[in-house]
Amino acid sequence: MGDTAPFDEMYDADGTVREPYRALAQWIDEQPEKALSLMQADAEGIFRRLGITFAVYGSDEGTEKLIPFDVIPRIISATEWRRLSKGIEQRVRALNAFLYDVYHRQEILKAGRIPEKLIVNNAAFCPDMMGVDPAKGVYSHIIGVDIVRVGPDEFYVLEDNLRTPSGVSYMLEDREAMMQLAPDLFQRIKVAPVETYPENLRRTLESVAPANVAGTPTIVVLTPGIHNSAYFEHSFLADQMGAQLCEGQDLFVDGGKVYMRTTTGPERVDVIYRRIDDDFLDPLTFRPDSMLGVPGLFNAYRAGNVTLVNAPGTGIADDKAVYTYVPQIIEFYLGEKSILSNVPTYNCTDEDQRAYVLEHIGELVVKEVHGSGGYGMLVGPTSTKAQQAEFKKKIEARPDNYIVQPTLALSTCPTYVNSGIAPRHVDLRPYVLVGDKVRITPGGLTRVALTKGSLVVNSSQGGGTKDTWVLED
Amino acid sequence: MRIAIHHQLSITPPPETGNMVFQLLMTPRSGATQKVERWSVETTGIGNAARYADAFGNTVHFVNQMRPEGPVGITATGVVETSDRNGVLGKPTGEPVPGLYLRATTLTKVPVTLYGKFRGMKDDRIGLLHALMARVGEVLGGEEMQAGQLQSQDGQSQTQTVGEARKADAALLAHGFIGAARALDIPARYVSGYLLGDGEPPGLHGWAEAYDPGLGWIGFDPYLQICPSEQHVRLCVGLDALSTTPVRAVPDGNGVKTIAVSVEAA
Repeated sequence: MGDTAPFDEMYDADGTVREPYRALAQWIDEQPEKALSLMQADAEGIFRRLGITFAVYGSDEGTEKLIPFDVIPRIISATEWRRLSKGIEQRVRALNAFLYDVYHRQEILKAGRIPEKLIVNNAAFCPDMMGVDPAKGVYSHIIGVDIVRVGPDEFYVLEDNLRTPSGVSYMLEDREAMMQLAPDLFQRIKVAPVETYPENLRRTLESVAPANVAGTPTIVVLTPGIHNSAYFEHSFLADQMGAQLCEGQDLFVDGGKVYMRTTTGPERVDVIYRRIDDDFLDPLTFRPDSMLGVPGLFNAYRAGNVTLVNAPGTGIADDKAVYTYVPQIIEFYLGEKSILSNVPTYNCTDEDQRAYVLEHIGELVVKEVHGSGGYGMLVGPTSTKAQQAEFKKKIEARPDNYIVQPTLALSTCPTYVNSGIAPRHVDLRPYVLVGDKVRITPGGLTRVALTKGSLVVNSSQGGGTKDTWVLED
Repeated sequence: MRIAIHHQLSITPPPETGNMVFQLLMTPRSGATQKVERWSVETTGIGNAARYADAFGNTVHFVNQMRPEGPVGITATGVVETSDRNGVLGKPTGEPVPGLYLRATTLTKVPVTLYGKFRGMKDDRIGLLHALMARVGEVLGGEEMQAGQLQSQDGQSQTQTVGEARKADAALLAHGFIGAARALDIPARYVSGYLLGDGEPPGLHGWAEAYDPGLGWIGFDPYLQICPSEQHVRLCVGLDALSTTPVRAVPDGNGVKTIAVSVEAA
């Protein structure tokens, strides 16, 4: 890893087009000059109309930005996808079983497979969740698994986001835009649909309503409000599912049950797809200063009168320190070898490994255990000496606060840039729904690092997105 | 022995409160050291309360009151029959697993000087725990401690009566004991309860329980420097005093006030 040329998803080393990309390559060849540049301009117009923007935290402008979209789709063959989706399903089943266990009998800790203190003393472990039996035994219903590819058959899972993964609206809008921009391409190439996601989301949410709900459950999406960077997505998903979008103040708890204020009086709420972090959900149980949540919401949940999606405390399963144990977790609960690999990870609390990390920091990627969004990380090869020195100090001061991984040669996909079509590094976030069954939308969100050579794909750090096509057989 | 308890509290929500929600941890459970003969919790809205077991196995009443006017009173009354088992409660039959009580919390942070010298004693856990109780009493129970300064340690804002000051001291010592035990890899938990005092004013009290793989949970009262006796009535357990707070409310106005606590031989 790292010392060879990155794997190009469109071209083999000898320059021939790989099978999944053949029809697309031919289509690109047939386009008149400037066609792609016109498409790119049209795309911007489409996204402005759709209103998809995001806020960058900490930016001086504080303005809403348009996430860059690349008009060349990323393509995954049916065979590749079958293996990927099997591996993803295995992971989300095992991680939900792990969540059930750590919040009940903790057999995996008793068996000594994971150090007890790593779990019970973890900030992401939520003691209040002990003994809760969520509907269908599912804790994390909506998951976005971050995957990178480094070779024809080599995929690595970077992170299993089991808290409140965002970005699914980009996946849907990228497809929508692509169908408007190049309808003829969809005539030539059979692409698995993604537009079933909102319907599948609704089905999943309905399937995990509390057992005592008669009739069709009432679902709401709970948002922190318009100032949240993903507010667009919250309102988009509510709209697509035909559910109410609520803020904390629109909901209240009475007699241990949750109600929504409506113009015709209170309406009972059964399932809450919440996009508010655990800490802010309920000032009675969690942070008392939270103005975003609903007082007593957790009590109503604990009493079995409402389902929270995802459950509080799921962060323990995607904690970066727990991540290294996922292969053992899969083996412990499913008795299977993991299909998808983890990125090899150095544990800085181990003296030998820490020494290696400090010595080779210029080649490695350092991540904060509780960080996300590409903030608070160091990418060795593109960092300055000063940044490296700073992270060395940080690691020495708090070795348990960082995980370190080799710099992966992320695969590249052809991307339309100023100079024409050029390879750029990509990752993939497929979206998984877990309820009465596991539903994985074919494809997911492809994020692309638009700067030449850059490996950071986060939209907050200058990344863009691509429509992701899974070919049908 | 049979102990009669009457515990009365009050909260005054701020004016114009639309909906006050409150969680009550005011119901003792029967167990190895006590049998609850009768018990009732009364407050406006209790008939509509949700009742369930929390993460630590405590009985919770979750109550709310729409547009409360003036102070809301809460009363717990009952009789509990206790027996002296030298604090030994035995092995838990259900959940949560003892390992949960290895979790460090803000209130149970302790300096290594409190427990460091017991590291070599891990083979004799019972002996270690008794020695630790004595050590916590010596280090944290000195006369220089002022109850008023310790109130924040209790996790509650309540008017301080003589009994309350005692409870704050007791909580501080229990937290010291719990934090030290956890640092030594021994699961330990906080117990809220009532005490029928000998020369101590009867009332609310707090102590600790530590886990031994052989005997199960064992009580330690670092404030009284004894294992709990038949004068101790267990109310609730949790990670610390904060997680066993009898009444927690949103909004809570000026806080929860204790109106009266009586603990008498019945």
